Amino acid sequence: MEEELLRLQNEACRDLAALNDLKDLEPFRVQYLGRKSEFTGLMRKLGQVAAEERPRLGKLANDIKVDLEDQFASKKTELEEAVRIKTSGTSTVDLTLPGRTYSLGKLHPVTQIMEEICAIFEGMGFGVAEGPDVETDFYNFEALNIPKHHPARDMHDTFYINESLLLRTHTSPMQARIMENRQPPLRMIAPGKVYRCDSDITHTPMFHQVEGFLVDRKVSFADLRGVLGVFIARMFDERTAIRARPSFFPFTEPSAEIDIACVICRGKGCRVCKQTGWLEILGAGMIDPEVFKQVGYDPEEYSGFAFGLGVERIAMLKYGINDIRLYYENDLRFLSQF
Amino acid sequence: MKFTFDWLRQFVDVNITPGELADRLTMAGLEVDALEEIFGGLDGVKVAEILSVSPHPDADRLVVCQVAVGGEKVQIVCGAPNARAGLFSALALPGAVLPSGMTIKKSKIRGQVSHGMLCSEKDLGISDSHSGIMELTWLHESGADLAQALELKDTVIEVDLTPNRPDCASVMGIGRESAAFCGTSLNPPVTVHDIPRLTGENCEFSVTVEHGDCPRYAARLLKNVKIGPSPWWLKKRLLAVGQRPINNVVDVTNFVMLEYGQPLHAFDFKKLHGGVIVVRRARAGESLVTLDNVERTLDSDMLMICDAERPVAVAGVMGGANSEVDANTTEVLLESACFAPVSVRRTARRLNLATEASYRFERGVDPQLPPIAMERAVRLLCEVAGAEVVANGVDCAEGVKNNEPITLRVNRTNDLLGYDFSIDEITAMLSAIEIAVQPFSDDTLLVTPPSFRVDLEREIDLIEEVARLKGYNEFPQTMPLVPMSAAWQDPARKLRQDVSAAMTALGFYEAINYSFVNPRHLDMLGLAEDDARKKMVQLLNPLAEDQSVLRSMLLPGLLDNVRRNVNYQVADIRLFEIGKCFVPGTGLEQPEESTYLTAVLSGRRLPGAPLLHMGEGKCDIYDVKGVIETLLAGLGFSGIDFDLAREAVEPYCETDTFARVSVQGKSLGCFARIDKKVLTDFGIKQDVYFLNLHLDALLAVAKDTKQFTSLPKFPSVKWDIAVVVPEQVRVGEMVESILHSGISLIEQVELFDVFRGGAISKGMKSVAIKVTYRSAEQTLDDETVVLEHQKIIDILLTHFDGQLREV
Repeated sequence: MEEELLRLQNEACRDLAALNDLKDLEPFRVQYLGRKSEFTGLMRKLGQVAAEERPRLGKLANDIKVDLEDQFASKKTELEEAVRIKTSGTSTVDLTLPGRTYSLGKLHPVTQIMEEICAIFEGMGFGVAEGPDVETDFYNFEALNIPKHHPARDMHDTFYINESLLLRTHTSPMQARIMENRQPPLRMIAPGKVYRCDSDITHTPMFHQVEGFLVDRKVSFADLRGVLGVFIARMFDERTAIRARPSFFPFTEPSAEIDIACVICRGKGCRVCKQTGWLEILGAGMIDPEVFKQVGYDPEEYSGFAFGLGVERIAMLKYGINDIRLYYENDLRFLSQF
Repeated sequence: MKFTFDWLRQFVDVNITPGELADRLTMAGLEVDALEEIFGGLDGVKVAEILSVSPHPDADRLVVCQVAVGGEKVQIVCGAPNARAGLFSALALPGAVLPSGMTIKKSKIRGQVSHGMLCSEKDLGISDSHSGIMELTWLHESGADLAQALELKDTVIEVDLTPNRPDCASVMGIGRESAAFCGTSLNPPVTVHDIPRLTGENCEFSVTVEHGDCPRYAARLLKNVKIGPSPWWLKKRLLAVGQRPINNVVDVTNFVMLEYGQPLHAFDFKKLHGGVIVVRRARAGESLVTLDNVERTLDSDMLMICDAERPVAVAGVMGGANSEVDANTTEVLLESACFAPVSVRRTARRLNLATEASYRFERGVDPQLPPIAMERAVRLLCEVAGAEVVANGVDCAEGVKNNEPITLRVNRTNDLLGYDFSIDEITAMLSAIEIAVQPFSDDTLLVTPPSFRVDLEREIDLIEEVARLKGYNEFPQTMPLVPMSAAWQDPARKLRQDVSAAMTALGFYEAINYSFVNPRHLDMLGLAEDDARKKMVQLLNPLAEDQSVLRSMLLPGLLDNVRRNVNYQVADIRLFEIGKCFVPGTGLEQPEESTYLTAVLSGRRLPGAPLLHMGEGKCDIYDVKGVIETLLAGLGFSGIDFDLAREAVEPYCETDTFARVSVQGKSLGCFARIDKKVLTDFGIKQDVYFLNLHLDALLAVAKDTKQFTSLPKFPSVKWDIAVVVPEQVRVGEMVESILHSGISLIEQVELFDVFRGGAISKGMKSVAIKVTYRSAEQTLDDETVVLEHQKIIDILLTHFDGQLREV
């Protein structure tokens, strides 16, 4: 028995050493380690040997089996490695060929910027509301302290539908619409399309604005500066210089235009900033007491600020777009750039 | 509002450069729009005297002049009709570059040498006058540099005035602001101390103000007026700010308006019937030919200046031709008045006539200004038109109200501005701009604004003034202390964002088109006359006919976009738009605005994908159907149905490729291939597929609730069936019939082939279906599956007239 086992081990080791092709591995395994192999037959006969010999021979057989299996596994690894080395570099895969790409579409640059603006204010707890594009004269003008025959109406080239309806010239009517129905504290922004009858290289008759306002007790002009400072730092970058200068809107007082240092020339003066080094990006101010009176708030109790910004202009500055009319031609060569 | 730096410096000691001035004005709320150095580029242009003129030997229209420039004598060929011996004019010497860019060279003109060019005002960029060479009748310094001799060099500054600051629509107003930030004072040529008392006694004329919309009306009479051109200094000022000089009288009224902000009007006194001025509303049937030679029909809301019989001017807007100053005028009645802003604005609007005068009156003219501006104009007319002013005159000032004091609270100011001003600081700042301030209590001031600040009426106006004077950038940046709250979220906005995200993931680019469209588009789509979408919201004042109505569909805009892109050789298109469509309300009601999604597909199935792998496959109707299915399923909607009824096909769609889409029984939109003829009308030569979904309606449909089901424990079995059915059988119905057969073990039914031709007889098609079976309780054996599979085969054979094919 012992001799048989050792002989088989010798033969197996010899055959395995001579083996040099992966396809010969399986016949070897069947011959020496398979269920019907001579070795397996010997193992079965272990039961018939003398009881005192059985543990020693059993251990021997098992050691041989483990050893063979180990050797077989190493051989297999060795041959596979040889094949891998031999075949590498012979594949027809050419990784310079393009991948199977699927084009993602993109949002319009105006939408992208508008969403970015909304996200910044939403992060500061502002809610988002939208109003009608066709607005009443009352909400667009009267409720915002712009009575009929007020010269401030000249600032709005208005498209009219009839004597009392018009295409909103700004998103500010949402101030009145929201305040009318709710009580402070309020923090809202209102993005949307607005319309002015004006069309040239810097004006399209439709464009987008985001209006925002905050009303509570003791809201100050310094708070307005703080909130807009955060907005500009997020929208552009932390180092963007900001300046505020006096302006006039009938629905805010004090009113301000907010400029940022020109993003093109970094304030040195260029064509885009008309050599001033500054770019006007939004109008803002403290909500006028007349507006509060219109919606039934006591201006002695509440104060607040409002601001409005032009989305196209910010997109032009961020992306370097030089002609506003490109926005509404929907040329894919344009849309795919953002 | 335009003014020049030199003009300003006549009245204010401006100790900064024009550029610095512009910055300071901008930061004071007077935004400078433009800063332009004018009359530049005239180096090498000299004052010269024509000594003699002789005809050009070879040209009838030219003359040869001998010209003295300083001590030198040169020959100049000239074609101007006014070239004559003894005339002083402007001579551009060789090397000079004129504003047009022309470089002057010594040259031969028809054989005669010309050492330069005698110039017209237009050649020099001074005015539009090109009738002859410049006539320097008052300037005889031969050889002098022209720009220096004429004091031409100056800087024009244009301020974009906000409507609340009419006081700054004048050199004097800008001067007052400038003096404040330069720390100097304003020195006007005429002040309130210079004006004579005008009592109206012993006047040759009378003024009657019948209406409250004219709070002040001052008038004086000037005689022996000699109408003629204005002197150069006066012309120069007008030209610099873009006004055309007319004659000395008109020029003086314009000049004083620009200088003081007070519109003036000069009547030819002899043309005023009865020597009377009446300020009244127009009467029914009255009309007036204004100075621009347009006959104006008047209505009874319009305030007019009239003589004894008829209107002679539209108050505050424009004078009448019937009383115009002309070359023969010798007596001028000068008007300096104040009119109510709303009245002037209403009238100017109704006449569609905006003038420099109406601009100022609409915004508000200082009621104390008329006699001051009048005095300035009278003095100038005496100087430049040789006029003699008749003693006394009229000043009806009954309507002038004094400004009431306003209470200003220091605490309120500090609360609103977020600052810590002391009462003294506020007092000092306001006083610096001629605002009268008196202490009232520890916390309050009594503030009386000057008459020219028509914008200061309320406490808040003064608080703004405090902020403006301090400088907006001096205030700190703080964050508001607002109670925390959960911001409201708009489900419609959320849906739009989700739809956009899905559409871009499906390879679509977002388009934004104008809300106003061409009404003709709907005819091009073939919509019936009674189609509701043809009732569109009309604009009263569109920019153009093709932008005259608010859209009732998004598709036409997108078809325009397709054409444009194809024309620019981008033929593989996936575009979508989410936007509002408008349905007119009744009467004066607001229109109904509802939000739609429309998408178009054209060209290759996968635009931008590599040709190598994905081929050049063109998109077809199954692509657009797939987009709708993916979109709705991706958004979490189930119960999607397609209605193929052919009677409700949109007129712009192909009948065979049209389907309406519903979700949970609610009709929401459609998809189709666009009809070829419609595409031709839109200028598109390739197939276009589209889909349309009413997003507001989709919002009302309940999404599936997300609910977990246990993962299957036992394996599934997939068996195939192939049946040959007649062509008219709808394969979708075969699949539906299997799904609804009530066979419990069916998990999924997939189509994997629809085949025609080959061994299949004509008029038939082979449909191959893979059915997945699974039980929740056990691993299925063949014996169980075969029973169920046979039931399916039976359904297909009996219901669809099918024959089994061997697989």
